[in-house]
Amino acid sequence: MSPSPISIPPSSPIADDTTDDNVLQPFFVLHKALPQKCQRKAAGSTRTRRKIDLPHSSPKSPEKSDAVASSVGPNDANHERLRLEAFNMTWSKIDTTIKEVLTRIHRNLFAEVHQWALESFLALKSGKPRHALEIQSPYPLLDNVICRQIPTAMILTKNAEFVDDMLTFQELGEHLKYKGCHIANLLSMDFCAKDGIAGCLRSLLRQLVVDAPDTADMSVLSSWYCEPENYDHPVIIVIDDMERCSGAILADFIRLLSEWVNKLPVIFIMGVATTDTAKKLLPSDALQHLQASKFTLGSPLERMNALVEAVLVKPSFGFNIGHNVAVFMRNYFLGHDGTVISFVRALKLACVKHFSMEPLSFLGIDVCDENEVFLHGKCDALPDTLLKYAFNLPSCKRGKDCKNSRDDLGEGLSDLRKLLKAWSSVILCLCEVGKNNKIQLLDIFCEATDPALSSLDPSNHKLERLFNGQNLAEGRLDFKGGLIGQLVHTVRELPLSSLIELLDLWSIHTEELYEVHGEVRELQSVVKSSNSGNNLKERQIDCHKMSMSLCAGRTSLSVNGKAAALLDNMVRKFLMPIECLCFHEIICFRNVDILQSALIGNPRRNIQVDLMKSTTYIKCSCCSSNENVLSPTMHDTSVMYNLAQEHGDLINLQDWYQSFKSTVLSTNKLKSPLQHSPMSKKVKSSPSESEASIQARFCRAVIELQIAGLIRMPSKRRPDFVQRVAFGL
Amino acid sequence: MTVSAIKPKHEKEIEYLIKSYKDLYSKWLFELRCGFGLLMYGFGSKKILLEDFASTALTDYGVVVINGYLPSVNIKQVVITLAEVLSDQLKDKRKNSTGSKSRTQQPFRSQSIEDLLSFLNLQLPDDNDCFICVVIHDIDGPSLRDSESQQYLARIASCSLVRMVASVDHVNAPLLWDKKMVHTQFNWCWYHVPTFAPYKVEGSFFPLVLANCRNAQTTKTALVVLQSLTPNAQSVFKILAEYQLANEKEGMPINALYTKCRERFIVSNQVTLNSHLTEFKDHELVKVGRHADGQDCLHIPLPSEALGQLLQELG
Repeated sequence: MSPSPISIPPSSPIADDTTDDNVLQPFFVLHKALPQKCQRKAAGSTRTRRKIDLPHSSPKSPEKSDAVASSVGPNDANHERLRLEAFNMTWSKIDTTIKEVLTRIHRNLFAEVHQWALESFLALKSGKPRHALEIQSPYPLLDNVICRQIPTAMILTKNAEFVDDMLTFQELGEHLKYKGCHIANLLSMDFCAKDGIAGCLRSLLRQLVVDAPDTADMSVLSSWYCEPENYDHPVIIVIDDMERCSGAILADFIRLLSEWVNKLPVIFIMGVATTDTAKKLLPSDALQHLQASKFTLGSPLERMNALVEAVLVKPSFGFNIGHNVAVFMRNYFLGHDGTVISFVRALKLACVKHFSMEPLSFLGIDVCDENEVFLHGKCDALPDTLLKYAFNLPSCKRGKDCKNSRDDLGEGLSDLRKLLKAWSSVILCLCEVGKNNKIQLLDIFCEATDPALSSLDPSNHKLERLFNGQNLAEGRLDFKGGLIGQLVHTVRELPLSSLIELLDLWSIHTEELYEVHGEVRELQSVVKSSNSGNNLKERQIDCHKMSMSLCAGRTSLSVNGKAAALLDNMVRKFLMPIECLCFHEIICFRNVDILQSALIGNPRRNIQVDLMKSTTYIKCSCCSSNENVLSPTMHDTSVMYNLAQEHGDLINLQDWYQSFKSTVLSTNKLKSPLQHSPMSKKVKSSPSESEASIQARFCRAVIELQIAGLIRMPSKRRPDFVQRVAFGL
Repeated sequence: MTVSAIKPKHEKEIEYLIKSYKDLYSKWLFELRCGFGLLMYGFGSKKILLEDFASTALTDYGVVVINGYLPSVNIKQVVITLAEVLSDQLKDKRKNSTGSKSRTQQPFRSQSIEDLLSFLNLQLPDDNDCFICVVIHDIDGPSLRDSESQQYLARIASCSLVRMVASVDHVNAPLLWDKKMVHTQFNWCWYHVPTFAPYKVEGSFFPLVLANCRNAQTTKTALVVLQSLTPNAQSVFKILAEYQLANEKEGMPINALYTKCRERFIVSNQVTLNSHLTEFKDHELVKVGRHADGQDCLHIPLPSEALGQLLQELG
């Protein structure tokens, strides 16, 4: 297949010889960037997003091939650029939020570690020499102390997977650097046996000393420390994953630094999975140089709850996920590896897919913007094709009151924003209840996004069924296992003090939801007055304590009932799942299949399926459409793999070859009288040649199966057998 | 009849199938620009597909192709080339933007891999759409399968100015990567793109199953064994190989080998030579046969071309 003529770099000599010579080169430059690109980019980058004019007619980019810049319409190059810019803005907002949330969670720990580092530094300083000359001398200082200890913070990570904590350690490093410490982040890779102690020393020097020589010399570090701007600050070495370091090298490193600790106030921060890690990894003579203190990180579920609240529930990014995607991501988080980082990656991929697939996704960033005029302006500038596309969205077709004008789109989008805000307020209120009940916010989110929950949907009144209205009025709820129902029930059972706290939080979350906010305030005042009344009475009449507390219990019951009714009311009125809203496609990603296939490639299954059902990809007229029948015209490797299914874990080469041969030949003979194909005549006329040809085809198919990792070559012990490796899909 | 001369089946359909992926090019480019790497899998060679994608959709970016199916790839050389391509790209950019100054620096060839990687990981404040692409055919191929290569590839992939487009063919390819590589470095977006195209080049390094197993000794395995031996042992092997290339039909008599080795101060006595020869025989690098005149002679079971290539790589 030759590249289209427009797209070949015009005068690149490198690109011309990419065919035969390059296949045996370990690597080669296919082409360099077109010089025009930079000019175009430079011109483009000076424009700010706010000034982008939406093109009514979209000129086709001359540099792009037809495949890249498709015809004028929703997918043309200009709109693609807008979507890319919108993605960058949206994701940078989400990313910043995620970082802020994670930092907030660890803020206390960071402060604790910093305090500890300062104290350790002071302790180290007390035994430190005072003359710079002494420090600069190219040998460690010895004193009377037999064993010099390095203060070490062992940070226990509550995670089975270390990958989640890498960011935490990075941030801890940044935090301490900001507080004036010298920081070096050493990776487990720096402590590998191959490079020896020089590897980690070089990495340490590289991070601390500007223009460090490529030698592992401690005296370089000590003279660096004597420079006035570096002096008198602790040197903190962060090793995020201690368990993956080579024990021997780490032990050498610790011994070496302990000799220098008098001159260089070194402090370790190490990430460990259990308290025994250091004992298992290090020999006792290295261990005795560590003066360990323990700290503990938060669990991934805690982080997850905070992330869901900040990223998924608050609609300030112009990107949301639908129910199916939310359920998939929850299962992915719980079932895959339980790391927040994998969840964030899945979210980012969903975001990319949304902006790459949804032509109008660039409007999302403005949907969540308060500036109505700008949103309307942007809708006004939309070309007709996109406008038509917008009104053809399934959600729009469902709402029948649109007149398909630009104003309608603007109105529709600002309605969407309002509804989303209300929806988000209610979920936040539910989440607050969930926190008391230790229910995961992601579960609540999944249930709240379920379109089947919508009372607007006349076909499914699941919500109505969840709460039986009559029962609620009587103070009893009819539960059918729904989380939201459980949460309302929780409110009914909350002790008064928790209810007061809850109402305070509700009042914050519903600030912009005026209808509800008034009721919350009212309820707050009722609860507070009853609470203070109870306290007074309890103080005054001690002897009637029992009866009074009963009375208080009754009051709180009625107040709890009111709060539950309020929550129920909120849910009914405002918890409209995003997928039931008009124009939700513009900001909501729902295609779970695309996300799943991009996130979790499944080569083991799919490559086998490719081979078993090759006819679904190679759409030819000659092969049988029936998957169970092997036709001689089918792809050779596919025939071979289908034949291999009949064997056990060992395949006799002779048997396999014979069955392959009979498949490609005997069926030919059967068919040849009917088809009179030239191929079969040729086979008959030169049988010896065809034997060689079949052998060659057999060999190639075996190689291809070997490349795919489906079989292993014959061993010396069994030269006539190949081994099947993959069984079942 | 050779494997390369097999008449291809369904050529048109396969071509059509590969062309049908052209519609995805704009999506692939979008995802690359968003910071993801692309990983193509599915049965069939994806060499044509990937290079077509790179030469049609990635014209705005420098592209370096790595053939992972080859027996050996030097990652350091790749990183140097990447740095050079990127440097050219940045120079072009600087020419077009005013007020920026060009930095003089030492040539990339003399820089350490850490410095090169940090150059590839520069943070450009104004433009997040300036990057180079690395296309890797068979990132799970024989030369890249070891953990060290994968670690380096992961570090290359995580550089801010590099995007990676790779293909895998092995069903167990994901086992090459740990969580850190998958989630934070490669950042793959998977695509199932079966092509059913023949693995012409990729398969050329595999021994044929029906061929005589004794010839299955490949240059690659011989090279690996030889590299693990001492320089003296390698020199003995070189003498033997040179003799075999000069006199194809007959093997080298042991006495002749001993004399040659002594002349070049490689061995000082017969015992040392025998120990080298035992090592060669154990690894099937050398076979012992009997000459017409009755004396034992040594023979390397490799065809001349393979032997020539082996000598070149050993040297």
